[in-house]
Amino acid sequence: MNDLLGSLFALLVFPGLAFLSTCALAFDWLDRRVIARMQGRVGPPWFQPLADLIKLLAKEDILPTGANETVAAVLPMVSLASVLTAALYVPVGGRVAASFEGDLIVVLFLLSIPALAYFLAGWVTVGVYSVLGGNRSLLQYFSYEVPFLMALSTPAILNSSWSIAEISARQLTWGLFTLPLGFILALVGLIGKLKRDPLDIPKAKSEVVAGALTEFSGRKLALWHLAMSMQTVVGIFLLVNLFLGGSKAIFLAVPPPLAPVIFGLKALTILVLLSTFSVLYARLRIDQLARLGWRVLAPLALVQILVTVWMGG
Amino acid sequence: MDVAAVVQALQAAFPDCDVAARAVSIDDTFVTLPVGALRTAIELLHERFDLYHLSTITGIDTGEAVEILYHFWDRRGLTLRIVLPYDALHVASVTDLIPGAAFYEREIIEMLDVMVEGHPDPRPMLLPDDWDEGAPLRKQTEAV
Amino acid sequence: MTRVTIPIGPQHPLLKEPLSFLLTVEGEEVMESVLRLGYVHRGIERLCQERTYVQNIPLIERVCGICSHVHTTTYCQGVEALSGLEVPPRGLYLRALMCEMERIHSHLLWLGVLSKNMGFDTIFMYAWRDREIVLDIMEELSGGRVSHAVNVVGGVRIDLDEEHARSILTRFDVLEQQVERALELIEYEPTLMARTQGVGILSPEQVRRYCVVGPVARASGVDIDLRRDLPRPPYDRLEFKVITHPAGDVWARTLVRVRETRESLHLCRQIIAQLPDGPTSVTAKRRVPEGEVVSRSEAPRGEVIYYIRSDDSDKPARLKIRTPTMTALITLPDQLRGATMADVPVVLSGVDLCIACADR
Repeated sequence: MNDLLGSLFALLVFPGLAFLSTCALAFDWLDRRVIARMQGRVGPPWFQPLADLIKLLAKEDILPTGANETVAAVLPMVSLASVLTAALYVPVGGRVAASFEGDLIVVLFLLSIPALAYFLAGWVTVGVYSVLGGNRSLLQYFSYEVPFLMALSTPAILNSSWSIAEISARQLTWGLFTLPLGFILALVGLIGKLKRDPLDIPKAKSEVVAGALTEFSGRKLALWHLAMSMQTVVGIFLLVNLFLGGSKAIFLAVPPPLAPVIFGLKALTILVLLSTFSVLYARLRIDQLARLGWRVLAPLALVQILVTVWMGG
Repeated sequence: MDVAAVVQALQAAFPDCDVAARAVSIDDTFVTLPVGALRTAIELLHERFDLYHLSTITGIDTGEAVEILYHFWDRRGLTLRIVLPYDALHVASVTDLIPGAAFYEREIIEMLDVMVEGHPDPRPMLLPDDWDEGAPLRKQTEAV
Repeated sequence: MTRVTIPIGPQHPLLKEPLSFLLTVEGEEVMESVLRLGYVHRGIERLCQERTYVQNIPLIERVCGICSHVHTTTYCQGVEALSGLEVPPRGLYLRALMCEMERIHSHLLWLGVLSKNMGFDTIFMYAWRDREIVLDIMEELSGGRVSHAVNVVGGVRIDLDEEHARSILTRFDVLEQQVERALELIEYEPTLMARTQGVGILSPEQVRRYCVVGPVARASGVDIDLRRDLPRPPYDRLEFKVITHPAGDVWARTLVRVRETRESLHLCRQIIAQLPDGPTSVTAKRRVPEGEVVSRSEAPRGEVIYYIRSDDSDKPARLKIRTPTMTALITLPDQLRGATMADVPVVLSGVDLCIACADR
């Protein structure tokens, strides 16, 4: 009975739905605010992402004729569910809901599901822009995913564990310093995974309107947005654990009450890094991304893996 | 462009062309040509004076005839004018000589109901697809 | 591979004005494009024949929402030539001042739109922020940010006092710094170059065949600029460079336009420094004697040409407007052929379309 309650708490409150949605909205706001400040604007008030979400939830939900309604309704939920499940294995501030040897691979797999769902969403809603956006998302997936996975496997190899919590706990020196290349590659991969500027190719407004989500509206679109924002949060938490030593400070022992604060600060640092990237660069073309992914990122990731194996051995 | 030389060459090639005095000059010279001479004249401008830049084509319904004006430009302006009587509202296309004329000729077709013979793409360009109230720039068409 | 037809417009996030492109696409490559205009055709040419010369000025101001001043300038220039009016030098200088500020604002606006369309929001925000400086100055001078209603037949209705001129000059210094920064960005930013270089190429030969004008022609190495080639006061007394670039791609167009913005700033400074004394306008008669005239000006997008025929009444017998966007539109199918879908926004914005101008 207690187990069941514990699981429910983990799923729905911490680190599940409630916590993640709050984080997602907060990160969303901070991201927009930071970008706005860098671009010489003021940016939205703190409740803007929440207001957007509520507004979308209240809006009429329509789909074009010919679209597969069941699949279109299920896809955002699948994305949301897989992100939520992935979140269970990612330690937050030193606490983790579940953990086992090899959960890194499960999390990476779960985090790929939204990308595939996004592609499918393009296909089942029949619009030209949707299909084009869906195709692009798949192309993009093939470009960033391999270097991303390779980069994330380096801390696992170095710390000889495939459990996120273990890796996070075992890091005496941050992965950022032992695997700088891996960290940068993971960051670029994360940008690609989250479809953020400058790698927002599948949803480039001026080219394919809103990409695969063009025909979505109302509740379904709100769920998509929520799933995407949560993915951002989980992705950032993952990077903090793998490369920034989780909730540990560099030299000092952190008293347990401060652990979440340290963790939060690290997460925000990565978020600001992501925002900076989106301010600094123009959107790439899909062929340029493919070239970048396979000619630059993947070989670099391979180098990092070889170096890691050599270091570890 | 040496306008005097161009006018001279045009007058030599087409003895019945007329250098209109009516125009107030900012920098343009107006030369009226016989309808059939238009393409030859443009070829002459291309070959002898390297004059390619067609600024635009203006069509005017004067109430007595329809005038078509070809405004050229190369440091100075030169306008070639042809006058079409109402019973023969057709003119040869110059789009093959000057590809940039395609849109201006399409405008002439829909706005003045003048047939431009040999135009590669004579579809309406500006007016609605279901427009049936006559050519807007013709005198007989009432303003809405 | 199967061909798909993708509509761009009349409503599309890429376009700020209605225009329809039907793109036939194979994968990501554009094979064919079909253009349809006329969604904002207002029949201005015919309307002008129904109104008097004075009433036409506000109407003509609305041909274009960006370069409204140069249109009335060209029109008034033509009508003044027809009526034999001599505009006082101060009026001409103030007209040119507005023209150059309009060029600055139009080019900065364009830079913003291009950046936005290739997913570089930061430049968009900066360009539009800096554009506010010019818009504010124009608003102080004329009362309107974009539609200025400055021109009257026979001169201008605005004037500039010395104190105001000083305040304008200090703000130009700020603007110049920003333009220099934008220029640095364009010359060295790798992703921007990756997106614009080699995209939408027009050869000098194509420019000549399609009779292209303005910055698009100058970015293909064709050296035309009516401010220099058709020197009217005050341009015959001002010093400026005509900016050209041989590359012919969107990147060259960006460079040319931003460098032109810098030149226009120099021009504005010279105009303010040399501003002659005297009245700003003369009174015009209602009736315009019979005649016809071709009036040309260098708008921000290139040569704008007005043909006006008068018949000794108070209304024009015919008024023909050709805006520079027409010349750019006709090159688009050539520029788009073989481009990828991702290049379409860059190519379309690269030529600086003003659809309302083209449709009239």
